[in-house]
Amino acid sequence: MNTVLSRANSLFAFSLSVMAALTFGCFITTAFKDRSIPVDIHVSKVMIKNVDDFTGPRERSDLGFVTFDISANLQPIFDWNVKELFLYLTAEYSTKSNALNQVVLWDKIVLRGDNTKLNLKDVKSKYYFFDDGNGLRANKNITLTLSWNVVPNAGILPLVMGSGHKSMAFPETYETSKSY
Amino acid sequence: MLSAFKSIPTHMDYKGQKLAEQIFQGIILVSAVIGFIYGLFIQQFGWTVYIMLAGFTVSCFLTLPPWPMYRKNALKWQPAVPEASGENRDKPQEKKKKHK
Repeated sequence: MNTVLSRANSLFAFSLSVMAALTFGCFITTAFKDRSIPVDIHVSKVMIKNVDDFTGPRERSDLGFVTFDISANLQPIFDWNVKELFLYLTAEYSTKSNALNQVVLWDKIVLRGDNTKLNLKDVKSKYYFFDDGNGLRANKNITLTLSWNVVPNAGILPLVMGSGHKSMAFPETYETSKSY
Repeated sequence: MLSAFKSIPTHMDYKGQKLAEQIFQGIILVSAVIGFIYGLFIQQFGWTVYIMLAGFTVSCFLTLPPWPMYRKNALKWQPAVPEASGENRDKPQEKKKKHK
């Protein structure tokens, strides 16, 4: 500690250790928090087509089109340890060939400081709702849920499912016109 | 130019070093506690970091330059023994204080 550099080294190292302890404290205060909130999902339009599928092993697969509304208030999730939320809408169903299918239809990144009241109407799906086969037609029970991945400043990244889901059914016949 | 920097005296005596260490540790710990509580209150971790950095800057200013308060207890060296051929030279006794 006789020279400036030696004192500066000591000071800086001490500050970093204290910063690490503060970050751990930040993590501990929010580690056991329940990050689930109620979510409201409505489905306004449902259509299904049977199209050429170049990604799978068969010639034609079912392609679903869903238009939905989502509303949720994300404010309670944001605390001092949350940097952003990665929201995604999942459709979950079972078919004759697969017991469980989960398809992500839409996602959104909500940063800290963005508007936290989610009130989206008539949203089309962002990603193709392809089925592995032809199991969507006349499928009565497709469950749509909104989940999110909490990206923290310090700590683990939990995947939380919102409370509130919507069950929908696909129609019996395929749509042949070119509309959507 | 480097020789100009090296010629600036930056030493402190041992008690001064101990005082400097206590000062900066105290300031940084206090600013860490204040920052943590304030950040927890307004739910923004950025403010915790800012307050810590402010504490760091204040303690840099207070402890890095060799202020006179750190030079109050100068070491007492033994007077030099005149050299003669065949005579053992005494090593000057330093007051070594154990500091943290």
